[in-house]
Amino acid sequence: MTSVPAILTEDQRDCYQEITNVAMGQAADSLARLLGAYVVLPIPRVSIIECSELNMALHEAGSDDSVSAVCQGFIGAGIAGEALLLFNDTSFASLASLMKYAGPLNHQAELELLMDTASVLIGACVQGLGDQLEIHFNQSHPVVLGQHCQTDDILRSGNQAWQRTLAIEIHYTIEHMNIDCELLLLFTEESVKTLNKKIDFLLD
Amino acid sequence: MNLNVLICDDSSFARKQMARALPPEWNVEVHFAGDGVEGVSAIREGKGDVVFLDLTMPNLDGYGVLETIRRDDLPAMVIVVSGDIQPDAQERVKALGAMAFIKKPIDAGKARDVLTEYGILTGV
Repeated sequence: MTSVPAILTEDQRDCYQEITNVAMGQAADSLARLLGAYVVLPIPRVSIIECSELNMALHEAGSDDSVSAVCQGFIGAGIAGEALLLFNDTSFASLASLMKYAGPLNHQAELELLMDTASVLIGACVQGLGDQLEIHFNQSHPVVLGQHCQTDDILRSGNQAWQRTLAIEIHYTIEHMNIDCELLLLFTEESVKTLNKKIDFLLD
Repeated sequence: MNLNVLICDDSSFARKQMARALPPEWNVEVHFAGDGVEGVSAIREGKGDVVFLDLTMPNLDGYGVLETIRRDDLPAMVIVVSGDIQPDAQERVKALGAMAFIKKPIDAGKARDVLTEYGILTGV
């Protein structure tokens, strides 16, 4: 059986982008409340890419510096995906001050900041998407992929089983602060077919 | 003469959702714009007595549209419709002259409430 490669029509891509817009707004609101700061919302990027292109996408997003990353799987209604959150390591000092984190900013402290932020951003964003698609996503435990790494190393540790993937990229920054992170939502190629049906239903 | 309503959003899906959410009995001309630049032109052409305005858009975003409307004193009542639900975003658009803020996803009930609250729907 040959599988038909996943593609998106312009209407579908537009619809993914719009529901992402709403979901990332909800996530930004949660983060803004946690940090007491204004989160700048970008226009999300939605594309079907080869996994080998992920690296390029991340570099374009300006993650050439050393990064720390967390991933968290989610699954529901025949749809499986991974959320990947990459923090530019220069963000942690500002994050610590906004979160009024007392004590030295060591490896352990950065890890806590990373996990706290990831659970808020990933949780709210995945739930926001699920709400609009009427899917209940169950989330697995977040896993740290690495601290102070290059993006290449992070991606090497990722799931190599996927060839093509639906990628949603959201580049969050915090106004007037040196905080910079990239949230990637990646869906398996199989999931995209099911997701597209949900999207077509919204478009009808 | 009918009221001119402008829906300004870069997403065609969002524009359609917004148009569907307008009260069916509301007798208006509906116009569309795909970004802030198009939106400002449409307002200058008199197509935006009431404007439903998205914030996150390419070329010129919703904040830019509000600034232009205020600077050039354009006649438009603006209702911001956005997924950016941070309290700060709502305060900023109000400070820039937006009449109201509706959070996305839009639905008919929210649209009707706001139009009624500001007396735009009276006389229907």
